Order: sequence, then C-alpha cells, then structure tokens
Amino acid sequence: MGASGSGKSTLLNTLGGLAAPSEGKILIDGIDIYRLSAERQADFRREYIGFVFQSHNLMPYLTAQENVMLPLVVTGLTAKQKRSMAAEMLERVGLGHRLLHLPSQLSGGEQERVAIARALVNQPPVLLADEPTGSLDTATSRQIMELLAEFHREGQTIVMVSHNPDNRIWFDRILTLSDGAIVADSAVGDQVANF
Amino acid sequence: MRLETIVLQNLTRRLGRTAFLLIGLMIGVTTVVTLLSLSDALSRRAQHELERFGANIVVTPKKDQLELSYGGIQLGPLQLAHKEIDEAQLAGIQQIPNYRNLATIAPKVLGAVALADEQVMLMGVEPRAEFKLKRWWTLQGRQPENPAEVVAGSAVAERYNLRLGQEVELSGRNFTLVGLLNKTGSQDDHLLIAPLPTAQSLLHKEGQISMVELAALCHDCPVEEMAAQLRSVLPDADVNPVQQVVKTRMHALGQFRLLVWGIALTVIAIGALLVFITMMGAISERTREIGIYRAIGYRRSHILRLVLAEAGIVSAFAGVLGYLVGVAATWGILPLLDDGSAHWSWNPVLASGAIGAAVVVGLLATLQPAFRASRLEPSAALKSL
Ligand SMILES: Nc1ncnc2c1ncn2[C@@H]1O[C@H](COP(=O)(O)OP(=O)(O)OP(=O)(O)O)[C@@H](O)[C@H]1O
Ligand SMILES: [Mg+2]
Repeated sequence: MGASGSGKSTLLNTLGGLAAPSEGKILIDGIDIYRLSAERQADFRREYIGFVFQSHNLMPYLTAQENVMLPLVVTGLTAKQKRSMAAEMLERVGLGHRLLHLPSQLSGGEQERVAIARALVNQPPVLLADEPTGSLDTATSRQIMELLAEFHREGQTIVMVSHNPDNRIWFDRILTLSDGAIVADSAVGDQVANF
Repeated sequence: MRLETIVLQNLTRRLGRTAFLLIGLMIGVTTVVTLLSLSDALSRRAQHELERFGANIVVTPKKDQLELSYGGIQLGPLQLAHKEIDEAQLAGIQQIPNYRNLATIAPKVLGAVALADEQVMLMGVEPRAEFKLKRWWTLQGRQPENPAEVVAGSAVAERYNLRLGQEVELSGRNFTLVGLLNKTGSQDDHLLIAPLPTAQSLLHKEGQISMVELAALCHDCPVEEMAAQLRSVLPDADVNPVQQVVKTRMHALGQFRLLVWGIALTVIAIGALLVFITMMGAISERTREIGIYRAIGYRRSHILRLVLAEAGIVSAFAGVLGYLVGVAATWGILPLLDDGSAHWSWNPVLASGAIGAAVVVGLLATLQPAFRASRLEPSAALKSL
C-alpha cells in the first residue's frame, strides 16, 4: 500500500520482470531475472508471472475466451487444448456463459475477471495485480477480492497493489511504501498508521 | 488460436481502421495494374499493327552495278537485260530456321505491257499475300481471282478512263477489270495488278520473280539474322532488312513503357509511405496493448510477427483487390482509348507481380515500425493510456 506516486507499480513491475532496477537484483526461484536476455525475460514472465492491471487489460478485438487464450498462443499446446483451458478458466471465474463476448459487451467487473482468468490460465506461481479493483464500485470490488481470495486459498501466491484501506482484511502481509521506499512491513510487526 | 488469428481478429473486428490502409494500398495497386495492362494492350496492338504495316525484309535480284537513280530520277541508261530471281529458288525460304516467323511472303513480277498503244507497268502478284501485306490498299470491287482478271491503280484508271467490270486489252489479250485501287499517293497508283502466272506469261517472264517482300511477325524478331538466313538460301538475290521500321517501333514502345514504369514507381513509393505512416500511427496508438502482450510473456519476435503479419495480410488483400479492380478498369478504359482492336489479355506475371509487389512493399514499409514496436520497453508501454 502507499500513497499515489509512492512506487507501488514500480515495485510490482520490477518484481514481474517488466522494469529492471537500477541497483540490486531480483531472484525468483534462484533465477536472477534481469540477467536473462530480453527474449528469455519474456519467457520467464510467461511461465512464472500472471499480471492483472487496473483497467484496459483486454484486447478489444478478441472475445473473452480469445483474451484468456493469449498466453497460450505462444506455447506448443494444440488449438483444442488452448480453447478448453481458456473455457475452464473462465468457468472458474464465473464467466462460463460469456466465452464469446467482446470486452465491450462485458461489465467492468467481468472484464477484470477475464483479466484474472488470463493471468492464471497457464498456472504461474505468482500473480501480480496492480490495483485490480481500482476502477470498480464497492460491491464489484468485493466480488473480485473474494475471487482472488479463493485462488489464494488454493495456494496461489498473490502480490497485489491497493490504496484502498478496506482491502486490508484480505491481506496476509502488507508492505507500505512511501517515496519509493518500504516504510512498514506487517510481517515484522510494523504498525501502519492511517492512509 | 495462433498469432495470425489474433491479427485476423484485429483486422476484421476493427474494419474501419483496416479499411483505410486497405483502400489506400488498393488504389495504388489498381493504378499500377491499370497502367501496366493498358500499356501492355496498347503496345501489343501497336506492335501488331506496325508489323502488318508492310514488309520488313525486301528481296531483289543482285545488281551488277550501283544504282543510278534517286527519288525516281533515272540517271543511267535503263538496264536492258534486267536479271530476275528464279522462282524455283523461293522454295528455299521454307528451309530457313525462322521460317515460322514469316507472316507473309509476297513474290511479284514487274514489267511493261501495252494498253491503248501506251506502256503501263504491270505487277503480277499472289493477290492474297499482296493485299495482306499492303493493308493500306483499299479496293472498289474485288481482288483478281482467276487468270483473266486485273485490278487497276487510280492513276491508270483515270488516264484510260477505266470502269469496274469493263474489258481491257493488255498486249493483245483480254482481261476483265474486277477492282479499282483507291488513290494511295504512291507508285502503286500507276500499276495494273494481275495474278502472278498471268503476268509472267504476258511479260514473257515465266518462272521469274522481280522482287519478294516479306513481313516478319513476332515480338523483337531477329530481322538481321533472318536476312542472313535468307541470303544463304537465295544466293542470286539481295536481301535487305528494312530496319528503320523495326527500330522506330522499338524505340517508341520503349519510351512509352519507361513513362508507365516511372508512374508506377511513384505510386509504389506513395503506397510505401502510406503503409509506413499508418503502421507508425497504429503502433503509437496501441502502445499499451503491446505492453500487455509483453507482460503476458510475448517475445519481441512475437510482436514483430504480429505487426508484420498485419501489414502482410492487409497488403495481400489490397494486392488481390487492386489487381481485380485494375483489370476491370482496363476493360472499361481500353475501348475509350482505341477503336476496340486492343484487347486485355490474362497476364500471370502481372497478376502475381502486382500481388507480390504489394506484399513486399507493405512488409518493407512496416519493418521499421515493427522493430520499434518490438523494442518498446514493457513497463513504459504499460503506462501509456
Ligand atoms: N524506488 C524507486 N526509485 C526511483 N524512482 C521510483 C521508485 N519508486 C517509484 N519511483 C518513481 O516514482 C514514480 C511513481 O511511481 P509509481 O507509478 O510506481 O507510483 P504508484 O505508487 O504506482 O502510484 P499510483 O498510486 O498513482 O499508481 C515513477 O515515475 C517511478 O519511476
Ligand atoms: Mg500505480
């Protein structure tokens, strides 16, 4: 958590292999990701990381199912496997009846669910979510948080950015950022003042 | 789903955007195809016509001395014993390697006959060949078909007041005048024309030929070489290729093609620019999209393929449509430019060339924008919205 401009997105992108830090390194599974070539970094993201952004996650010209299939396109799976994996994932996020809809035909919450389905379709160890509820109303936000919590219960590691204090109840560990630095970590018993 | 499927969905579900590039490129292809096929049809017709315009090889008897005439003025004494070509030797023409390129072989015999106590030039011809070669001859009546029929040039008809169907006495033999040649403004106006065997017997030149005119009918005929081949089978004759006709024709057609190609290259350059600008625009518009593809784990090479496939598919479509519209336009325009004797003809080289060129130009013009897209920093791309 942290105020706007405190570096939340920057940290998340750095963790996810999208932006190299100017100092230090990121080790994931013992892999120093920024020492990989650009193409290998892309492969790493595909296999290890699922990304969900606040909004405009989806390709407007692809159906929900096609959007979810995107990470699978550049793998060696058969067309049938890709289709059924995407359909299954959409079923899990509660959109089994919306496979062939374009993003413009879906509500904001549904679009976010499609984005989550896409991030998780190839079962990455880590899901990185940058304010996935940032543009949703309270009720819809809640549903999305419930969905993420459900994946978490099944063992999915999730690193999520939020500046909505209401979301605190869902988190196991909270890092608080300010001016690009971690100023509090709930895991070491730091207390976070108010937002 | 494959990368190309993504591209296809993008193109078909954002038709408005696709249409702009598609139509722009298509107009380019149409212009080039129309120009090239018009020039093709017109130059083929021009060539055909020029080839039929007359002889491009003339065979005459070997002369013992230099000619003493110029522009119809005779300086020397008239040759009394004029040598002729032996008709039997003409069979040798059929043996030359390029015999198939000879469209017309028109042998003739020339000599003076008596008409109303005066001397008139009589030309014995094979009527079919002669009239085919001299396309500018127009006739009232018809060609001579049997031995006792003649045709008269306009000057002869006027001088002796000849009328169609009348009997004419030539060197004591009777003939029917079956045709009158309209005025040509050439020496032909002063001729009487009869079938070759008739004229040979009337002139006492049986088995002799005064001159043969030949027309070579082919693109870029090796006229010089054909002349050499004829010389070897006709040792007693002079064989002269009428080079000027061939050379002027080639030059004129060459100039025309050069112009058309100049325009075509300009249009291609404009098309390339259009693709370049459109793709550049598309990429800056879709920066965030590219960022998401990269975040999902698409490699630079995948982005490159996405962008190039998009340009390739649009260009190929533009090529096919442009070619078809170009063919239709040629069909429409040809009759307006011409009396209708020029014809469009299926040219596989033009078809595949037009489509291939559209794709190659589209891809080349997209290389730079595609590389740019693939090198976008993912985190920076994600920020743009
Ligand atoms: N550790 C850091 N070192 C240097 N610059 C940083 C650091 N963290 C953040 N920045 C810079 O601060 C700016 C804002 O960061 P960022 O976008 O990550 O903020 P944010 O917390 O996501 O804000 P918002 O809540 O508005 O999304 C960026 O330009 C980023 O480059
Ligand atoms: Mg942010």
